[in-house]
Amino acid sequence: MSPRKIKYRLALVTMKTRIAFVIEKIRIKYIDYLTAALEIILSATVGFLIAAILLYFMGYNPYEVFGVLFRYGYGNISYLLSKSVPYIMTAMAFSIPLIAGVFNIGGESQLYVGAFTALLVSYYTANPVLGLLAGIIAGGGLGLFISILRLYRNINEVIAAIMINWTMYFLLVYLLTGIFHDPKISHQSIQVPESAWLGELLSPWGRIKISFILAVIGAIVMYYILYYTNLGYLLRVSGLSPLSARYAGYNPNKAVLCSMLLGGAMAGLGGALLIIGDVHSIDTTMSTLYGFGFTGIGIGLLGRNHPIGIIFAAIFFSGLLIGGQWVELKTGAPPQLTDTIIGIIVIALAIPYAYRMLISIVRRWRMK
Amino acid sequence: MGNREIAIEMKGIHKIYPDGVIALRDVDFVVYKGEIHGLLGENGAGKTTLMRILYGEIKPTRGIIKIFGKKVKFHGPWDAIRHGIGMVYQQFTLVPTFTVEENLYLSYVSIEPKATVKDVREKAMKLMDELGFKVPLNAVVETLPVGIQQRVEIIKTLLRNARVLILDEPTSVLTPIETKELFNALRKLKEAGITIIFITHKLREVKEITDRVTVLRRGRRVGTVATDEVTQKDLARMMVEREVVFKIVRKPKEPGQPVFVVKDLWVRDDRGLMAVKGVSFELRKGEILGLAGVQGNGQRELAEALAGIRFIDKGEIYLYGEDITRLTASKRYSLGLAYVPDSRRIGLVYDMNIVENTVLTNMYRVITRTRRIKWGLASKYAKEVIDKLEVIAPGITSPIKYLSGGNQQKVMVGREIIREPTVFIVAEPTQGLDVGATEFIRKTLLSLRDQDKAILLISTDLDEIMQLSDRIAVIFEGKIMAMGKPEEFTLERLGLLMGGVIESQED
Repeated sequence: MSPRKIKYRLALVTMKTRIAFVIEKIRIKYIDYLTAALEIILSATVGFLIAAILLYFMGYNPYEVFGVLFRYGYGNISYLLSKSVPYIMTAMAFSIPLIAGVFNIGGESQLYVGAFTALLVSYYTANPVLGLLAGIIAGGGLGLFISILRLYRNINEVIAAIMINWTMYFLLVYLLTGIFHDPKISHQSIQVPESAWLGELLSPWGRIKISFILAVIGAIVMYYILYYTNLGYLLRVSGLSPLSARYAGYNPNKAVLCSMLLGGAMAGLGGALLIIGDVHSIDTTMSTLYGFGFTGIGIGLLGRNHPIGIIFAAIFFSGLLIGGQWVELKTGAPPQLTDTIIGIIVIALAIPYAYRMLISIVRRWRMK
Repeated sequence: MGNREIAIEMKGIHKIYPDGVIALRDVDFVVYKGEIHGLLGENGAGKTTLMRILYGEIKPTRGIIKIFGKKVKFHGPWDAIRHGIGMVYQQFTLVPTFTVEENLYLSYVSIEPKATVKDVREKAMKLMDELGFKVPLNAVVETLPVGIQQRVEIIKTLLRNARVLILDEPTSVLTPIETKELFNALRKLKEAGITIIFITHKLREVKEITDRVTVLRRGRRVGTVATDEVTQKDLARMMVEREVVFKIVRKPKEPGQPVFVVKDLWVRDDRGLMAVKGVSFELRKGEILGLAGVQGNGQRELAEALAGIRFIDKGEIYLYGEDITRLTASKRYSLGLAYVPDSRRIGLVYDMNIVENTVLTNMYRVITRTRRIKWGLASKYAKEVIDKLEVIAPGITSPIKYLSGGNQQKVMVGREIIREPTVFIVAEPTQGLDVGATEFIRKTLLSLRDQDKAILLISTDLDEIMQLSDRIAVIFEGKIMAMGKPEEFTLERLGLLMGGVIESQED
């Protein structure tokens, strides 16, 4: 090839890249916002539409049901926020490990042990701070335990977590009914002494529980750790691309351990906040504690695995739960139906994100 | 020869990938029934693409395929299997925790849903008797050595009535003894009338096992020859000969003192096999040492060991006289070592933006004592990368995945340059880049050399090695075959060395 030809070709290539560059610039700047907004609007519409059709065929007036759902669900701000506390924490217990590429299904049991140790410590010391710390340590410790099983004993973390969930469930039922039950009230555990209760703050929107404020602070701290520190960077890189983490001189195993420790600690704190800040005792059928961990998974996805997003997702979800109960009362719809409606809406909102996440995880596995 | 039955005829095969890369140009490929046909070429010559087309995995942009004289159009591998074509990949497709029998059954029921385990067992026994080709049917696959696993793969494809067997670089995972056994087995298969296509880049193996060989170069067929009629030299020349596209002027320069010394390095690959076998070299200030070799001959393991992200079995590494053999990667980076990996998938986190990707190897420069990342400073470095390497990007916060390959590569190289390290290990720096970006990266490497940096350039691209290197080393199966000034190497000699032929054993 002659030099002139090469020069001409080079010029052509640069011109092509210039043009592509301008188009790219416009596209990249807005595409993320646009797709995110479109995605949420579309999935919300689809979710509500399916729910409405279902309601219609079940013989209920969708308009009326949705009216009750939203009016009552989001009417009482104080109750709404306090209800969202454990969900914020268990959602983070799922999302933080996920950012580092680990599935933590154990938020449920991490919340149990957090709640239980917080109950014991605050019962014996009458000190809420010690109670909260105990909850954090217990939850974090259990999370760490699962990750140690995975790393050093090669046990799948999902299976380990599911088994531990049930072990902890029955262990707690035994301890609550057998040893730590309240002698005066049947079917209740011992109570957190009143001096150790977390109070409420007055605000223009009514009373706000201190436990909610602590939960928000917890989420903000996690946000800071994830996006502003060395450790958070390690977690995110390991989750997105373990090979890159290794290349940069990080140890991806450390990311697994740290993320499970942090996630477990958040679930533990959630349990502690619930007990010390809100319900003060656990009933012996465990209905006070059951289900937060599992619901947290959905909320984590709904909040796009982002601590700040999770706060709003948890509040949104709590509103649906509260409103759902009112729907049962007002329209006589069975609880299964309201659960279904909530499920449809949440799934519709979380699906596009969950789908993309799954794809990236599959890709990561293939790369290995 | 002319009257022999044609097993496979591919005519005018043209393949353009969606991203515009032309993988194959008008390739004709004819295989006779019952022969062992070698398919030879460098990395990226199109060998695997051609075979994947034959196996129905990808569709040709245009071209005709005839199997045993019948024109076919494949929609997927299942069509190819039905026509009696079987492929054995480099990476096996066996379930490691199943027994051999279970694996055979698993693949067999996909074409014969009514078959029972007993049928498969009987069929397999019969087949093994005919071929004199033994595998333990009750053994769990993961407990078997690689060579036996490969036999299981071959039997698996034969069970599905394969008459044409494609082997994709089958010896790359084998020890020399296993290779010998494989060759014996292949000869038996040939006697039984099975046609074999053997993809490889090792000249010695081509001479040893094949009847005829087709050589591909950059997506074109160079020629098909009878193996007896050519020497390894001829094959090497066919494989590597090329026109030089453009020339980069390299200033003459006297290299300085050795700054990076490697002594007798032994490193294992991911499977635990020795991949680097006693490599030693010195890297001097202001020189580029080009390490040539065909992919998969220990280059990646060597580079990773040098960078500190792979365990070193034996040997020592010195940086400025200091022993760094036992230091972690991040420690080595902060001492002035830089490593640009051969894959952008490793070097870059695609879902992160340019700033975050810059931080990846610059972490020690942007961290406070309280472990907080100074994102302001990080952004400054990212801007520096963009300015210095003329990266075309909408902004420093745009995700890396939206950048073109060339610009991604520039970020990966640039973030090392701004750290001002003294020793660079650069692997495949221009892989998959267009002409402009390639030239830019190569010039950047030369200017680093002129600034007295020491550079180890690991590349499978011979043009790159010839253009940039002050010294050249050739690696084959984890050993340095030869080292010297570029003048001492002709393309032909390089090709021979890369194919594992040392001068003294030429035919």
